[in-house]
Amino acid sequence: MEWTMTANTPGQVCLMQGNEALVRGAVEAGIHFAASYPGSPSSQVLGMLGKIAGERNFYAEWSTNEVCALQACIGASFAGGRALCIVKQNGLLCTADALHCAAQHGVKGGLVVVTSDDPSAHSSTNEFDSRWQAVSAGIPLLEPTTMQETKDMIPYAFQLSEELGQLVLVRVTTRVCHGRGNVVLGPLPEQPRPLQPVREWDRMVCVCYMHAPALEKLEAARQEFETSGYNHYSGPEQAKQLIVASGAGRLYAQEAVRRLDVEEETGLLSLGTLWPVPETAVLERLRCAEKVLVLEEVDPFLEQNLEALAGKHQLSITFLDRSGAGIPQTGELDPDNVTAAVSALTGAALPEKTVPEMELDLPEREMTFCAGCPHRATFFLLKKALRQEKNPGIVVGDIGCYFMAGQAAGQYGFQVCNCMGSGINVAEGLGQLTNYGLNQKVVTVCGDSTFFHTILPGLVNAAYHQANMLLIVLDNSATAMTGFQPHPGTGLTAMGRSVKPMDIPKILDAVGCSVETADPFDVVESEKVLRRLLQKTGMNVLIMRQLCATLKAKEQKRPVRVWVDQDKCLGDGCGCDKFCSRVWGCPGNTWDFKANKAFIDPVTCVGCGVCAKLCPSGAIQVEGGAEK
Amino acid sequence: MLSTIALDTQVIRPGLCTGCGACQGLCPYWGSAEGRTVCYFDCERKDGRCQQFCPRMPTDLNALQSRFFPTETILPEIGPFLGLYRTRAAESGIRRGAQHGGTMTALVELALQEGFIDAAVLTRSRGGLEPEGVLATTSKEVRACAGSSFQVPPTLAVLNRALQENRYQKIGVVGTPCKTLAVYKMKAKPLPENDHHADNIGMVFGLFCGWGLDWDGLKNLTEKHLNGASLIHMDIPPSKYHALELQTNSGETVSVNLDEVTPLVRSGCRYCTDMTAEFADLSIGGARSASGWETDKGWNQVIVRSEKGMELLELARKKGVLEFEDTPEGALDKLKAASLGKKRTGGELLRQRSEEL
Repeated sequence: MEWTMTANTPGQVCLMQGNEALVRGAVEAGIHFAASYPGSPSSQVLGMLGKIAGERNFYAEWSTNEVCALQACIGASFAGGRALCIVKQNGLLCTADALHCAAQHGVKGGLVVVTSDDPSAHSSTNEFDSRWQAVSAGIPLLEPTTMQETKDMIPYAFQLSEELGQLVLVRVTTRVCHGRGNVVLGPLPEQPRPLQPVREWDRMVCVCYMHAPALEKLEAARQEFETSGYNHYSGPEQAKQLIVASGAGRLYAQEAVRRLDVEEETGLLSLGTLWPVPETAVLERLRCAEKVLVLEEVDPFLEQNLEALAGKHQLSITFLDRSGAGIPQTGELDPDNVTAAVSALTGAALPEKTVPEMELDLPEREMTFCAGCPHRATFFLLKKALRQEKNPGIVVGDIGCYFMAGQAAGQYGFQVCNCMGSGINVAEGLGQLTNYGLNQKVVTVCGDSTFFHTILPGLVNAAYHQANMLLIVLDNSATAMTGFQPHPGTGLTAMGRSVKPMDIPKILDAVGCSVETADPFDVVESEKVLRRLLQKTGMNVLIMRQLCATLKAKEQKRPVRVWVDQDKCLGDGCGCDKFCSRVWGCPGNTWDFKANKAFIDPVTCVGCGVCAKLCPSGAIQVEGGAEK
Repeated sequence: MLSTIALDTQVIRPGLCTGCGACQGLCPYWGSAEGRTVCYFDCERKDGRCQQFCPRMPTDLNALQSRFFPTETILPEIGPFLGLYRTRAAESGIRRGAQHGGTMTALVELALQEGFIDAAVLTRSRGGLEPEGVLATTSKEVRACAGSSFQVPPTLAVLNRALQENRYQKIGVVGTPCKTLAVYKMKAKPLPENDHHADNIGMVFGLFCGWGLDWDGLKNLTEKHLNGASLIHMDIPPSKYHALELQTNSGETVSVNLDEVTPLVRSGCRYCTDMTAEFADLSIGGARSASGWETDKGWNQVIVRSEKGMELLELARKKGVLEFEDTPEGALDKLKAASLGKKRTGGELLRQRSEEL
């Protein structure tokens, strides 16, 4: 696929994923700089940019967090560079202060922020609508629907950004990032254009008197959007029933209108420029409308703006909100719920289902840790250690693979979890209250990538204020959740350079924490260490170090064979009750229904051998695997 | 009900658990920390050994007793009874480390030497704090377990592991009344599909018991009174002294008012109705007589409950392992009265607790 990112063959049609289209758009825009922190659904974008950065002569980095990424882009823009910042919904919220300040001081070189939202939270812990940030910061907002638009909007956003002297937000959603479609390639610049030296009297400073000019930029954007080619209308000139759609909702609406055969009487206004709303263009359609359905993900962002517009102009229109149209208030749109909504708008009968509903009896499965994941062992041991406490402990979660510890995979391991990097701070609060009558042990966890992302300031706070707590750093040497992007602990950069890795124990030591390291696969010793550290007052840190199972599987020199001696296995008998498959819960530990005994799936098992250590009857055997 | 939930809701949460360890050492689900019985994870079996062995789960005590002891020997106040004796270990070395007269240590050692048992599950008191269950197979190991602790360790977890291992075929067990009751529940083989190798249980030696103390509570109490000195022995003299005596390694004896101690009695012990360990081959406790505490604290009283118990005691007499004195007049009646007192109080408190629940 990578050749399509850098092929200078204008006019060629390529099948592309949305994330690839974003990359191609950035290359066609001749960017100088790209920075990101991984987050689904747009994690692949910077990974690909990093690979072609050398060839295309721009700089790309996996920043330590999204604030670093955006602010580095602001620096690049100040030197006249075109800078692309890619974040996910939560990452954009992380940058809120930087984003709002940038909106006031403006930009020099084009600065485009791509934010990827994950409606229905397919690969996120939550669902947010990034579009409000554009309103709050006062910056233009674009949202593509097709892969072609996704590609084209990036150079357009840079051009707009430079025309206005303002950063531009491009919002994409999971279906756009992960969908595929044809893209006609545009020309590539030979080189990114030369940078502009920063002169003595150049300024990009966020001060109050810049607010009014920022509003003027927004008004200029609105005027530009009134005639933008990214907004389309189809349908009768005087449509009484109108659909206004953006993003994925637009394609579903096109399909629904055709399926219900209401093209003749239904207008479809598709918007690609969402903020500021092109009022004149939209009003033209609203004036003749009696009923309006707005299809968007997820919040009623356009809907509220159109309602305000209709109110301002005293138009008598019935707006069908999501619940009125039979669409759930949260989650994605899909062709079915959009068809039902269009039926509610037009009164057209829903087509009868010609295909009977498939009744597949699929087992319901919870998300779980991979086979051999060291986090499973850590949370298993933490549960055991805390059960031995006189009073139940409090475990504060954080964001990463280990978020799944809140479910069976981690023995329902934590009770509270806020956003990424929050664990240390929530625990600090609880830890302080242990001096005020809260007689419970306080534990929090973070991964190594999260440690650098946002734990560090909290660590300083907790250590300085001597909170009574235990921080467990789940060091698996990877940003595993999003696909093994490098972070400061790995010694690698997005562009493939080897650098000196950051040493977590040294950092902890410098901050003044008491630090110990344990191996979660050494279950006996690690449980003792946990028990001991839980008795200690003050700010304690335990690094649970064991390589991510997926990395380990790649490195294994000799295959390991783990198998169950079914003659020894107690099965569901007293003394075991399927301990390996039911409680330990590794996907490799399965059940032989014929023999009513445990069984290890050799395809799934990665050979960590922890289940053999935990088996109450010593029935699990481990062979081979010693590395040279 | 699921096994772990049954014990949790019927025994642990209502405060009935004695910490004996009968539910432990069987599986990965139950363990213990500082005398507290801990459930690590839920077991989803409907029934299991943990429920069946627990001395605080419903038990038909009369049926269990008449299964193992001739009905005509059973006295309502103190259980099966073949005789009451006043004894002490002949060897002064044993008596020095003993709680009272060293009868238990001497008898277990003899039982091991003479093949009555091939291993013994004992409690090493470690001076009285942080005691632990041990599996002893030599005289030296038996002697290391002389002396009592008022913290209650889950000694039966050691028995369960030993039975599971199936290495010894005549395992002797020394325990407080809750523990010996659990051992007889094991001997009754309650689960048809899993006999837990219960035939490998040899003799059962019961210890008289008033109550055990809360693990942390006793630790804090001794820390408060000993000022850093280490504890080597603790005892409770007859009730007129109203004291707990703590003996330090420097030879000093600190007397703690019993009013400070009684609030620390382990919740589960308040509901106990067995003072003399009625399920046992032999039960042993501190002696009481008119000659007073200073003399009595070097002697034991022994209730023989079974033929095998009698055989061992007589062998001890024949071999000169034990010294005997005549049982003081009225000793049996006094013992009966004390035992009955515990039955009344425990029964009444248990009734009250049942009404609360």
